[in-house]
Amino acid sequence: MAAPSIRLRLTGWYSLVLFLMLVVYATATFVAVRHEFFEQLDDQLHDDFEAAEGFLSASSDGRVAWSGERRHDPDDAEDRGSDAWAASGEQIYRSGAASALPPVALATTSATPHYETLVTNGRRWRTLSGTTLVGGRSVVLRVSRLEERLRAQLWEILVVLVLGLPLVVALAGAGGYVLARRALTPIDHLASEARRITADRLHERLSTPNPHDEIGRLTAVINETFARLESSFDQLRRFTADASHELRTPLSVIRGIGEMELKEPHTAAEYRDAIGSMLEEVDRLTHLVDTLLRLSHGDAGTIRLSRERIDLGALTRDVVSSLAILAEERSQQLQVEADEDVSVVADRLVLREALANVVDNAIKYSPKGAPIAIHVRSDDERAMVEIIDRGPGVAAEHRERIFDRFFRIDQARSRDSGGTGLGLAIAKWSVAVNGGTIAVEGAPEGGSVFRIVLPGATRPTSSVHHDPVTQGMGEHV
Amino acid sequence: MRILVVEDERKIAEILASALAGEHFDVVIAPTGEDGFYRANAEAFDLVLLDLMLPGRSGLEILQTLRQRHVETPVLILTARDGVDDRVLGLDLGADDYLVKPFALPELLARVRALLRRGRPSEVFRLKAADLELDVVARRANRSDRPLDLTTREFELLEYLLRHQGHLVSREMLAREVWKEPRRATPLDNVIDVQIARLRKKVDTEGAARLIHTVRGVGFILREEEP
Repeated sequence: MAAPSIRLRLTGWYSLVLFLMLVVYATATFVAVRHEFFEQLDDQLHDDFEAAEGFLSASSDGRVAWSGERRHDPDDAEDRGSDAWAASGEQIYRSGAASALPPVALATTSATPHYETLVTNGRRWRTLSGTTLVGGRSVVLRVSRLEERLRAQLWEILVVLVLGLPLVVALAGAGGYVLARRALTPIDHLASEARRITADRLHERLSTPNPHDEIGRLTAVINETFARLESSFDQLRRFTADASHELRTPLSVIRGIGEMELKEPHTAAEYRDAIGSMLEEVDRLTHLVDTLLRLSHGDAGTIRLSRERIDLGALTRDVVSSLAILAEERSQQLQVEADEDVSVVADRLVLREALANVVDNAIKYSPKGAPIAIHVRSDDERAMVEIIDRGPGVAAEHRERIFDRFFRIDQARSRDSGGTGLGLAIAKWSVAVNGGTIAVEGAPEGGSVFRIVLPGATRPTSSVHHDPVTQGMGEHV
Repeated sequence: MRILVVEDERKIAEILASALAGEHFDVVIAPTGEDGFYRANAEAFDLVLLDLMLPGRSGLEILQTLRQRHVETPVLILTARDGVDDRVLGLDLGADDYLVKPFALPELLARVRALLRRGRPSEVFRLKAADLELDVVARRANRSDRPLDLTTREFELLEYLLRHQGHLVSREMLAREVWKEPRRATPLDNVIDVQIARLRKKVDTEGAARLIHTVRGVGFILREEEP
């Protein structure tokens, strides 16, 4: 079963909390009112007691008699009564209502008046009894009031509270539900709007009436996500187009050569040449597919890295010396200038690939006889390799995309200058998996500076980890 | 020498058969896993070329069962799967070597020769082709009794070519065996071409017969006559 909607849950919790708060509030109110009512009753009894004291008077023969005005204490009043006894136990006075009450235990009656609740015939009486002196004689006086009216009033209040409380909670809940719905409607709206934006309409964005409220911020976040999605879709589309172009070119060359050669007879040498040319294209295709596979393994994160401490200066020199022959052919001077003891923790082969691709790039694009400088430096936290060429440079608008797969500034010279158009993409990836970044900027003397920045290895005894599989195979996948 | 080729792709099987026949091997083709399995069990072969992705019975299964039955024929795995795990699994199960498709024929033939040679001492310290002589221990090379001034890399390259003389050598083999680098995405092909050109300039001087030949689209070969 699906969980209830946020709206319902919100209303439910809200109502529950309100209900509990109201229960506490009502209970407290009721207790306070009840206390106040009984206090009032006791006050009335106290007044009654004083009035009754006034009605008692001693006659000349020394007897105490009740001579009060009846209107204060009517005999027939049902809800209040008074009675009085002489110390001897002789009844002096008893009103009609009081006759229902049991007599006072004279012996226990003290001089200070005390309150008591008596139950007779199922009726509750509140009484105040005490001893008073009338003309020098001690008289026990008791005044009483029926509690029933008071209890009836309390009962009414209780009924109102108990019946009213659910009603209030229900009303508040309904109100809360409406409010929650109003508050959440923009989210429903957002959801249906977002659903409308499919892969084909990724350029569309969600609208928001107020960009600064919560919904507005949510909308902004969703819009940013759409923007990122759109850019990766664009990238993917471009990549697919580029990749199929790059893959189709060798295929059409192979087909073209095959068809041409079969059209009419040729000499053995010509056939040999044609087949060799086809094989070259196959080689190019194989290399391309290998590289793409490798990049896609990289994207999927399924490449195992063997991280170890590497002397960046030595690795750079090693790469440079293996490519130096290419620079020699073009009479270029490759100069490596390395700070001492610059080390990083990285996968040697992967990092080597990055360096080789960037250096190869510099050799390829620098004119004959130009110097190519390579600097290896470090500061507190970072290690850095700068490859400074004298090539045509990279225009500012291409500096981001130059590391994209198959991106070429000059489409025309793509195939002839060799390479797959993936060298810098591989370099970017190789640096990235080692936790670094690569960027290009203009060099002051013209040309470009490719800068690889890696997190430096600060402690000389950091852990060295060899992956036995990759090490053993001597190859990385 | 008899070689069993277990390969379901007809074209590839035929190419393998004709390439191996060209090297004077007897070749038997098994087009299914089942067939390959029974033949490898029943007949005697000097080497098995085993495709991993086969209908019926996978190459790894065949290999495993063979090794469990103590059939110790050398096995060279051919796989299109470019994953370390598969190769490691294959080698763990008792394969002797592996090649990833698409492979270059010269490389395949070199591996086959190496596997068949294995176990026999083949270390030769003096290599010779026509009037070219190489002393591996003294690290000296002569052409027509005239010493050649070679760099370390050039010497290693020439040694490798001489050890494979008469056979094609691919750039990939050179990258791995001489440069000791997995070729992959590194720009090594150009380096190899330039290095070969320089070596050729020193070895095949004017007037002498050409020994180092480039076979377009395939690689290089060292031999006396033109290919």
